[in-house]
Amino acid sequence: MTKEAELAIEVEKLTKRYGNFLAVNDISFTVRKGEVFALLGPNGAGKTTTVEIIDTIRTSTSGKVTLLGMDVTKKKHDIVPRIGVLPQGFSSFDRITVRETLQYYSRLFGCRNTDVDGLIELVNLKDKSQEQYKNLSGGLKQRLGIAIALVNDPEVVFLDEPTTGLDPRARREVWKVLLGLKKKGKTVFLTTHYMEEAELLADTVSIISKGKIVAMGSPGELIEYNANYLVLTLQSVDEKVFEIVRKMGCEPVLNNHRDVMIRVEHTDDVQKILNTIKEAGASYLGLDARKPNLEEVFLKLTGEALRDGPAGRRVAE
Amino acid sequence: MNLSVVGANLVVKLMSFYRERTAMFFTIAFPIILIFVFGTIFKDQDNVSFPLCVQDLDQTNSSAQSIKTLVLNGKFKITRVDPAINATQYVRDNKVNLVLVIPKGYERSLLQRVMLSDPNASVIITYIYDPSSSSVSTKMQILNSVFDGINQKMSGKPPFIRSAETSILTKKYRFIEFFIPGIIAMAVMTLSLFGTVNLNTELRQKGVIRKLSTTPITRTDWILSNILYQFILAVISTIAMLLVSYAVFNVSLHINAWLLAFILLDVFAFVGIAMILTRFVKEAQSAAAAANAISFPMMFLSGSFFPIEMMPGFLQTFARILPLYYVNEGLRASMVFEDNMAALKYSAIIGVFAAVVFVLGIIATKWEEGQ
Repeated sequence: MTKEAELAIEVEKLTKRYGNFLAVNDISFTVRKGEVFALLGPNGAGKTTTVEIIDTIRTSTSGKVTLLGMDVTKKKHDIVPRIGVLPQGFSSFDRITVRETLQYYSRLFGCRNTDVDGLIELVNLKDKSQEQYKNLSGGLKQRLGIAIALVNDPEVVFLDEPTTGLDPRARREVWKVLLGLKKKGKTVFLTTHYMEEAELLADTVSIISKGKIVAMGSPGELIEYNANYLVLTLQSVDEKVFEIVRKMGCEPVLNNHRDVMIRVEHTDDVQKILNTIKEAGASYLGLDARKPNLEEVFLKLTGEALRDGPAGRRVAE
Repeated sequence: MNLSVVGANLVVKLMSFYRERTAMFFTIAFPIILIFVFGTIFKDQDNVSFPLCVQDLDQTNSSAQSIKTLVLNGKFKITRVDPAINATQYVRDNKVNLVLVIPKGYERSLLQRVMLSDPNASVIITYIYDPSSSSVSTKMQILNSVFDGINQKMSGKPPFIRSAETSILTKKYRFIEFFIPGIIAMAVMTLSLFGTVNLNTELRQKGVIRKLSTTPITRTDWILSNILYQFILAVISTIAMLLVSYAVFNVSLHINAWLLAFILLDVFAFVGIAMILTRFVKEAQSAAAAANAISFPMMFLSGSFFPIEMMPGFLQTFARILPLYYVNEGLRASMVFEDNMAALKYSAIIGVFAAVVFVLGIIATKWEEGQ
């Protein structure tokens, strides 16, 4: 198989300016057919601009985007029937039911054989199929949005922040649907600022910050190559521990007021730190040493938290 | 253009409208309420009569006969004021705008003039009036014309100039029958302008348009479905207005193909204007304000409610550049005057205008974002 036949998306030197603001700055990457590709970054990093240029909602300032072998600026009419899109902040007609909405979008795509019942089942909306859109919760609306993105049985599915604003339970429900898509072998282009979402769903994660791609690879590769250290957490420490660790040349971070997180470059250093604390007569209730997660990798690479919120702030403090 | 896509959009819009009961009620009820209000106000426009207070200080058969003449004129409903009362105080106390005072010695002077042919015998009828009242001068003019007629008759010579009335219409129409076509034109304009602006800004703000831009639907499909949707609503609204007009006010109008043609042109023109507005005004609230800024002058200056002849000259000139003026005139030409040539002329003018703004509207409608 040729390289072109294997690739669903090719982005070359893509740039987008809004006046003087550079939203996307000369980025290049490729997405293979059948993979789940996640563009991970904080708000304002350029994720939505990038995905909306690829899925033909926006136009670029410069650069080239090839989708399913076609230039997106020249072949929009040929591309649109072959892709499915869940745009950011998706919404639909308030007083139209779930079933009617899917039938409507199916007609827009000229699909005569859309399996509306199958789609409703896929996104687990069987009980809500006669419910009007306005009566659905946020999570159900997003699941309907995903079903709409699939009415034309697309070759590539674009999901722009599909779980933003959802509570943890609704988010997990959406993840279940996305895992189903992955199982079906669909090419999925996902943008998110949830590290756990990218880690769980994506084959390839591309980290974007201030319009630039700063790292790309599988979640494991990103951690392996960009975070060759351990995170040691000492739980319920007494007041002296923080000072002891600082004097050893480490940069401890206070977490939940009682836990101390320490970045440790070598495994041997863990024992050294624990011994020093013991010799100083300080105490702690528990400890945990682990590889860093994607969020910590992101912090290291970009110096900024993935999203606002307690978890992000804690680490950044 | 894809008819299946246009049909799908039309169905979704009509279903949304049918399920939005409040919006449906007001869409149909608003013009009907207008017809009720204005129809009731102007119901007796053609047989208007003014209240008139008369104080007879003479209290004779002749003075009583004069008051009877005023009653027979049909323009006044007479209220008698006690001769003992101070008429000026009566005007102030009773919030009336005019008291006509027949002086003492009225009969004596009348007999002197008629029986003794004394040319110097005369009486002075006094109008005690409130100049701040808007209708008092009309009342006094009518009274003067009645008294001129009496003077003329007493002179014993036939008048030199007489007048004759010849209506250009084959039958006599009432004001309400001139009013209904104006209300139809205005209601269709409001529906098309606000309907399109509200729908498009709401769908754009909610992100539905962004989603639609990722489907094969084209701008033309979307706009055409919007036109058809607004046309169907306009026809439903017009039918409701006509039913009420016939049932309540017993109007007599000519319903023919021109009515549908003018509704369609009205829809095209104002959907076109709305599309241009939607392009430049992003927020739903400012879009509604902009639509108001266009529709209000149109409503009051284009002859929907009042004949433009009532307005100063420069406003009449201004009215003639408003598209709704031509819809009003066209509908009246077809529904009231049965003047096909005039209807054709007005339809051509509004047709050209509609075509221009509609094309501009299509160009202005943005589907993709962030060009």
